[in-house]
Amino acid sequence: MSPAVTPAATSAPRRLRHRRSVRRLTAGQLADLRQAIAAAQEISDERGYQYLAGIHGLPLPISCVHHRELFLPWHRAYLYFLEKALQERVPGVTLPWWNWTAAHAEGIPEAYSKRTVGGRKNPLYDSPIQPSGRERPGQTRTTRAPGAPGELPSAEALRAVLANPDFLTFQTQLESLHDGVHVWVGGTMESIATAAYDPIFWAHHAMIDRAWYLWQLRHPGATLPPSLLDRALAPFPMTVRDTLDVTRLGYDYAASTAAAPGPGHG
Amino acid sequence: MVEKFTSAPLELPPAGQRFERADLIFYGVDHSGPSFEARVFFDSRGVSHGAGSGHRAHVGSFFIFGHNGCFGDIGHCDIPRERDPFDLRPAHQLEPALRVLTVTEAVRGLLERGLDEAKVTVTAHTAGKASDAVLGFETVRLATYA
Repeated sequence: MSPAVTPAATSAPRRLRHRRSVRRLTAGQLADLRQAIAAAQEISDERGYQYLAGIHGLPLPISCVHHRELFLPWHRAYLYFLEKALQERVPGVTLPWWNWTAAHAEGIPEAYSKRTVGGRKNPLYDSPIQPSGRERPGQTRTTRAPGAPGELPSAEALRAVLANPDFLTFQTQLESLHDGVHVWVGGTMESIATAAYDPIFWAHHAMIDRAWYLWQLRHPGATLPPSLLDRALAPFPMTVRDTLDVTRLGYDYAASTAAAPGPGHG
Repeated sequence: MVEKFTSAPLELPPAGQRFERADLIFYGVDHSGPSFEARVFFDSRGVSHGAGSGHRAHVGSFFIFGHNGCFGDIGHCDIPRERDPFDLRPAHQLEPALRVLTVTEAVRGLLERGLDEAKVTVTAHTAGKASDAVLGFETVRLATYA
């Protein structure tokens, strides 16, 4: 298999699921997402939200990969497993992405910042933290302390990062933007140990995953170092190679896709 | 760990040498503590720890998403000094980070002022009540690309 990382134009688009911008979710799509998260919160085994959130940080071992070369592949696998767990609760639901470069007016998206919706708790506003996932006693739920919206990364900053033709340079600079958003959200999101319990974590990381997808499209044929391709992404039964093409994972960030064969090279 | 650090002078590229991009590369950045913003300044005489992004010498910031301490038993967060070449397990979670800050226009500005070297000052800023003494790295390097 070629190590090229550009999503395949000829992948069958019919069954792909579309990851949408949080701001463009319909009322029905948002309701499905909330229902899926709430249902996953009710499950206490390895299919549940708490188990999956705990993979990132506490309880030990801390499995996430930060500040190392597998940052993007590992988190793509992580989102895939969470999304699959949600789809078992609500078929067809996908993780939305939070475009923080366009969030300079509102900061945290309204879908995640409203404490209640229709008289009920909004499952995107916060989350319980299981006892073994707490950094300190009494940390029973996630919290946020966001900064000023204007301090979020700008579209220009993201464009500059996407312009890097080398994967490792791109990844290092994207991770710095990523780290800044964790710091900006504050509270639970500010610590590797607890960040994934906050529902906004998944929308933030879908944005990071989308940035990698955009980078792949802008640098066709660009490759990860071959020595990385067969590395395992523990605890997920996937290798780096398995994460290169999002269409193989059943989703796309494009709103629609269509492909037709070209003349070939005969 | 410190909350502010100023490097020895870094040599700038010769004034007549063309370059398209200049990066400050921070090697060996510690991320074991709280998350923080690292504000970076060039030629920063008189920059206080509280100087913000509006300061004339500010050339950018990088961020570190931190582990916020150790949650294991004694030794859990000690980075092994030597690695067995046959050890196929993932690297230790606290292996230091690399950060790259693109500072092209700032370097051009220094050259236009006739400077041939510049010190780099970095200040660390955590949120809330956490100490700002979280900054640690091994090396800072200025690289330019033609």
